[in-house]
Amino acid sequence: MKSKSFIVKNKFGIHARPARLLVETASKYKSDIYISKNGEEINAKSIMGILMLEAGKGAELVLRIVGEDENEALQEMEAIFEKIATIDELN
Amino acid sequence: MSAKKYEIRLHGVAASPGIAFGRILRIGGDVVEVEKRTIQADQVAVEIEKLKIALAKSKADLQEMYEKTRASYGEEAAEIFSVHKIMLEDPMVVDESENKISKEKVNADFAFAMVMEKYIGLLRGMNDELFKARSADVIDLKRRVIRYIQGGAPSRLKQLKEPAIIFAKELTPSETIRVDKSKVLGFAMDFGARTSHATILARSIKVPAVVGLNNARDILNDGDFVVLDGDEGVCIVNPTRKTIAAYRKRHADYITFEKKLSSIKGLPARTKDGKDIELASNIEFPNEVDSIVDLRGDGIGLYRTEYLFLAGDRQPEEEQQFEEYKTIIEKLNGKPLIIRTFDLGGDKPSEFLPMPVELNPFLGVRGVRLYRGAGHDFFRSQLRAIIRASAYGDVRIMFPMIACVSEMRYCRTIMDEIMSDFKAKGVRFNKKIPFGAMIEVPSAAATADLIARECDFLSIGTNDLIQYTIAVDRGNKNLAYLYQPYNPAVLRFIRDTIKKGHQQGAWVGMCGEMASDPLMTMVLIGLGLDEFSISPVSHLLVKAIIRHVEYAECENLAQKALALSTSDEVKSYLEDVYNKKFKHLQHFPH
Repeated sequence: MKSKSFIVKNKFGIHARPARLLVETASKYKSDIYISKNGEEINAKSIMGILMLEAGKGAELVLRIVGEDENEALQEMEAIFEKIATIDELN
Repeated sequence: MSAKKYEIRLHGVAASPGIAFGRILRIGGDVVEVEKRTIQADQVAVEIEKLKIALAKSKADLQEMYEKTRASYGEEAAEIFSVHKIMLEDPMVVDESENKISKEKVNADFAFAMVMEKYIGLLRGMNDELFKARSADVIDLKRRVIRYIQGGAPSRLKQLKEPAIIFAKELTPSETIRVDKSKVLGFAMDFGARTSHATILARSIKVPAVVGLNNARDILNDGDFVVLDGDEGVCIVNPTRKTIAAYRKRHADYITFEKKLSSIKGLPARTKDGKDIELASNIEFPNEVDSIVDLRGDGIGLYRTEYLFLAGDRQPEEEQQFEEYKTIIEKLNGKPLIIRTFDLGGDKPSEFLPMPVELNPFLGVRGVRLYRGAGHDFFRSQLRAIIRASAYGDVRIMFPMIACVSEMRYCRTIMDEIMSDFKAKGVRFNKKIPFGAMIEVPSAAATADLIARECDFLSIGTNDLIQYTIAVDRGNKNLAYLYQPYNPAVLRFIRDTIKKGHQQGAWVGMCGEMASDPLMTMVLIGLGLDEFSISPVSHLLVKAIIRHVEYAECENLAQKALALSTSDEVKSYLEDVYNKKFKHLQHFPH
């Protein structure tokens, strides 16, 4: 199992486009991928789940990955979180 | 043997003049109705298959919309459709719906609706306004998929194949906007008022409209032949030959009259004794500009911009707005364009702006009040687009629903911030771009002098001013007797607003329905109104009246009208004068 925490840095939070990027990336992997906020954990392959976290700017998220390709998945999910930090437009 | 059809006359309220002959097409609200049905165990697989097919079709639609939007507006604008698509692929959404079908033994559309309702509810319950706003996306998706499950088409409005008279309970602004305007012969609505969105559209595209027809939509059938009389507010179903012939004649007279009126196109709107009146037009959509140019009036006194927020599937971008404003101002050839910043809330909710649920939306967050909260970013991007467009002509800005000076100052502050940003970046714009307030709230009318000190002009919005002054909902049919433009309190507010504006050196115009009312033209001239901004359909009639009167007699008439005690007294006095003085304009209904 791999685990890592992130702070949401972009202005509008994990909104539509950031959520889409996370889902698309997570869905590429066989591993089970979860994101949690304040102990509430959701499936990162579900955009509804991600939106339900209501992760605004400053929220602390924990990423948890379990499965055969967890190393690669973690690496790419990290990159996506970095990319999201630079998304400034509302979408 | 078919039953003999009798002529039926349905009485409503005249909302847009003219006569239309044609077959009717009934449209429902943009609400999908879902019924819960219990299914047999052997139907589960069938229902799940229905759901899968509907999801696949919806995804194909979204993919197509994504590609089309990307081709014309770019990746960023198209993004929302790929988000929608991913929502339909969401394992939670799909699994929950299938589980409901198989465990609860219910029909596919009901199961899917329940699942989506759950998410809509959860999103709406969030604290962050931006997340709340996503509920509109889920609502959209819910409708899309359910229509496919039910075997329906995406939307009936888009499918108008033949010209028809549209019958509806009431059209919402976002439905109105999707109507193929080239195929609409007229509008008839069970509810609605002269001032509702669809009737404003009807007047702007010059088709008749009748509202307040009670339950007409339910008793008629698609394809019934009707005569829609937008002058008298009557809808005649199964008209006899005699009726049709009479209406054909009236229609022909009307066309002749219109032709006669068009002979004054290009002549100034000047009274006999030489007072010039600015006669501008109200528009709602950019494509109306050509007909405005053709009228050769004094530009556009009210450009409603709500359509930007109601059409399409996405919030408007600064760049797209700028291009539209620029196109319009360039076509106006030096004449002014007054752009009203978006006036949402109340009766005009937008799918892109999270609106709080209010018990009394007309007294809630609407117009300028939205700009401090959820509408702030849109306000800023709209102002940026308008100010940039000011480099290309006489662009002016107008703010809706101003209730007090501090709101005016707030708008001014944001304008100043944008202008200093533009200066720093070397963006071209008119540094003295004129701006003004709409006077449509009693507190603003009472303090019109204080507000006029802060800006360049005032424009009286009569529809709201009437409803707020008399405390009557303009859509409430039972109170139509109270909603009277001729109400003495309303007339006094108008008189005072003009006087107070002039004292402070501001010019005063009117962009509400009252400015188009031929009975009021002389009164308004007499009160010193500088500018009339009216629907294109009334433009030439009002001009004909202006050209036929003297300023001095208007002053006299205004004084007399304002001394009367009731709306009815004012109205019958004005009708008397009108009937005597404008025999030659008789044909035009007022």
